[in-house]
Amino acid sequence: MPIDRRLLFYINWPLFGLAVILFLLGVLNLYSASGYRLEGGMSVAPYYHRQLLWGLMGLFGMVAFMFFDYRHLKTMAWPLFWVTVILLVSVFFAGKTIYGARRWLDLGFMNFQPSELAKVAVLIVGARILSREREPLDFLRLGYVLGVGLILAGLIIRQPDLGSGLSIIMILGGMILFRGVTPRVFKTALVTIPALLPLSWFFLHGYQKQRIMTFMDPSTDPLGAGYHIIQSEIAIGSGGFWGKGFLQGTQSQLRFLPERHTDFAVAVFGEEWGFVGTMLLLSLFCVFLYQMVIIARDARGLFGSYLATGVFFYFFWQILINTGMVLGLMPVVGIPLPFISYGGSATLVNFCLVGLVLNVSMRRFLFKQA
Amino acid sequence: MSNFYDNANQQPPRAGLLLLQALILGVFCLFAVRLWYLQIHRGEEYALKAKENQLRQESIFSPRGLIRDRNGDLLAVNEPAYALGLVREDCPDIDKTLHQVAMWTGEDFDKLKTLYTRNRKRVKQFEPLILIPDLSFAQLALIDANKLRWPGLEIQVRPRRQYRYGMLLAHVLGYVAEASEEEMRKQPELALGDYVGKQGIEFMLESRMRGAKGLSQFEVDVNGRRLQERILKHPRAGHEISLSIDLGLQKLAMDWLSEEAGGVAVMDADTGQLWALASAPSYNSNDFSSGLSAEQWAALRDDPLHPMQNRVIQSVYPPGSVFKPVIAAAGLHYDMLDPNETVHCSGQIRLGRRVFRCWKKGGHGAVNLEKALVESCDVYFYKLGKKLTVDRMSEFARAVGFGKLTGIRLPHEKAGNMPTRKWKRKRFGEGWQGGDNLNMAIGQGYTLVTPLQVARFFAGVQNGGELLKPLLVKGEKTVVQGEIPLNEEQLGLIKHALIQTVDNSHGTCRRLRTKGVIVGGKTGTAQVVRLTDELKKLKDDQIPYKFRDHGWMAAIAEKDGRRFAIAVLVEHGLHGGSGAGPVVKAVIDYLFLGKVRLKPEAKKAKARAVRLLSLNATGGSNAN
Repeated sequence: MPIDRRLLFYINWPLFGLAVILFLLGVLNLYSASGYRLEGGMSVAPYYHRQLLWGLMGLFGMVAFMFFDYRHLKTMAWPLFWVTVILLVSVFFAGKTIYGARRWLDLGFMNFQPSELAKVAVLIVGARILSREREPLDFLRLGYVLGVGLILAGLIIRQPDLGSGLSIIMILGGMILFRGVTPRVFKTALVTIPALLPLSWFFLHGYQKQRIMTFMDPSTDPLGAGYHIIQSEIAIGSGGFWGKGFLQGTQSQLRFLPERHTDFAVAVFGEEWGFVGTMLLLSLFCVFLYQMVIIARDARGLFGSYLATGVFFYFFWQILINTGMVLGLMPVVGIPLPFISYGGSATLVNFCLVGLVLNVSMRRFLFKQA
Repeated sequence: MSNFYDNANQQPPRAGLLLLQALILGVFCLFAVRLWYLQIHRGEEYALKAKENQLRQESIFSPRGLIRDRNGDLLAVNEPAYALGLVREDCPDIDKTLHQVAMWTGEDFDKLKTLYTRNRKRVKQFEPLILIPDLSFAQLALIDANKLRWPGLEIQVRPRRQYRYGMLLAHVLGYVAEASEEEMRKQPELALGDYVGKQGIEFMLESRMRGAKGLSQFEVDVNGRRLQERILKHPRAGHEISLSIDLGLQKLAMDWLSEEAGGVAVMDADTGQLWALASAPSYNSNDFSSGLSAEQWAALRDDPLHPMQNRVIQSVYPPGSVFKPVIAAAGLHYDMLDPNETVHCSGQIRLGRRVFRCWKKGGHGAVNLEKALVESCDVYFYKLGKKLTVDRMSEFARAVGFGKLTGIRLPHEKAGNMPTRKWKRKRFGEGWQGGDNLNMAIGQGYTLVTPLQVARFFAGVQNGGELLKPLLVKGEKTVVQGEIPLNEEQLGLIKHALIQTVDNSHGTCRRLRTKGVIVGGKTGTAQVVRLTDELKKLKDDQIPYKFRDHGWMAAIAEKDGRRFAIAVLVEHGLHGGSGAGPVVKAVIDYLFLGKVRLKPEAKKAKARAVRLLSLNATGGSNAN
């Protein structure tokens, strides 16, 4: 399929640029986060190296996701959904158990998490269904959409992987909110969801309850679960206004901060770049998200809008939960910060999804041609 | 592909777009506020916490000042002691670690645990709590090889006081031991496990010898591994002290006192510096600095011979005839004595119904002052005492330093006793009797003195009347505390008589004669109990140890401008001449001839036998 040169012109370059800038900031931060001081000086673990390789692959993935016309996904939505369901089921039989959870399929060259695929699948299927809804959702339609999501989420939670399962629901939930619900549904949800939340307590694992308790009062367990929260707040807080400077963060360099290259990477950033740097990073994320809103607004066709919205929520929840956790506003959950936290497949998926949104943006005027 | 264009012209829901923008704005504001709170509002507080995480401070021990003798020989030094400490913040499992320590060292786990719980609160954060204060080299090697696997364990090197001659100088040097809680409360610079002087010079000169601890700061990582280290405050070493004590002389004196109980004071008559201050039996200062066990402490405390007692300054004895020169001087001072006038000694004197005997049964016949001192005639002094009475004797004795502290720089000095009429009434509820004057004149009765007071008086007689403060630190300025209130001629009479006591063929100190040295002296016998007639009949050797009289000898010796006063007391030494005399003679030989004459082994063996016998004979029975 030859690509029209005009398409390049319509690409949302700010989004493209922001993705790359955020990724590079992430690599820079990772370099510092994986460095540690020894008696003889400094040593750096090779995480940033690998992250760069994954980023390169991500760029290819992003370009690949821009080449085809995204509208083909409409027809592929349901097959993709069912393939995902089959893979998720197969995890129960053929999955690899790591740390007591069956989440991985061994593909020989890499371990593949079907739950990552499910996140992509849910936003495509969600876009497919919701783009046809002309009216705010009533109970019946809401039940239908949610049901589709719950099949995926339920399978993932059984692995068990509560975090990913909830992300599925939250991505879909965000898209549903974007569509809107009837006032009746809204009122009912307003009453029932707060009532149901305490019930969910009984479905949580012991360690999950522990995390929530520790979040409420980190000082109850300063060396155990509360340690993450306390050290993270110290790292960020001690950054002050200007920060301690690149590679100067004592909390990370001396390894007081745990998980500093993955979930708590932004704490390293906060320590070394201070209030100024962290606000700048947050602003970049905001503009990044805002570009998706623009793309959702300008998309030719509701499917594109919903795709952009789904990707928006895919990033939005991660940013909210991860940063909220690092800032001590939320319990400790193992959710990474897009582009900033170390993680190969996550980086790949992030770039691919940005590519998908760019795909929507660049084809906003060219629908007739296809 | 029918659904390709079905909704192409529809606009996305406006409310939805607004929602997305609101979400972005809301989250941005929330995080911005939180960041402001953490990084700016509480930024300094967190910066401090990060510092606490990262930087730790540690005391650098300052070496305690060394102590040398007057010739520069080292008496007290500092040696490295290896202590095993536990930094509780770094230790993941206290109990497991304590078990391991118990296994390595053979200590009892429960004991370690008790120690840990007791001291936990008193140790600052990230500072090691000392579990084992003194590791042996075998333990050190074992633990050092394995300690990386036990985070929290730390080997700390701190200086420990080592006394080169623990037994020789215990009463002078004293000892250091771990600071008590009270000391730590009074002196906030002291920390748990610090050593402070508790006795002797170590106690008295604590502030000069302690120095000040330094402070180092180092960076640690999360595993407590040390990275960079920086010295914030250099430690200040304590001042070195040189004593006036002559190690060789001290050794000699202690050798002569071995197997005995007693004291030796040797004073430079011109400066007041003490060349020897020996007290026996002694204890080992090192036992205290390395931590005394309860059993060791009980043994020291309950020893009937009280080894902790410094007999030169803390034990008081009746002076016996050593006091006669004082009484003679009093007689001259009050002009109640004509040195040439003779008194007849018939061997006894009667006062009322009581008979006071001279030590010489047949009497001395005609006795003048010199002869009275040379032959130690009691009757002469009975008569003098009767004339002087307690008031003058007491006043004069006080004026020459008896009944008062000498002010030596050692703790717990005793003043002794110089009785007065008032004192006796208060103490015994009865008035001063005529006979008390007589007893007082020959140094018996209520008068109690320390050997150091005697040495100081004799030094005064020798140096022209100056009463000097006894000094222990070399180079310390001589302090004249008083004068013997006699003119040169009168003082010369006393001094001459003392020399005659050595030189005269009837003198009681003939054994002190030393070629080329002008020696004077006075013996003394201090009654411990008034011997019953039954005991009096016994030969010396048969009298039970504890009823035997104390033997005194005080001497002055001079050659080529070097002048010394020497006082020796041997508890239960029977007679001054035989008990204390050989010690004085050995001291003089050392000081002026450079001869080291040790106590013959036979004499030591004999003394040991006597002591053992007396220790076995329990109770206060006066039967043999």
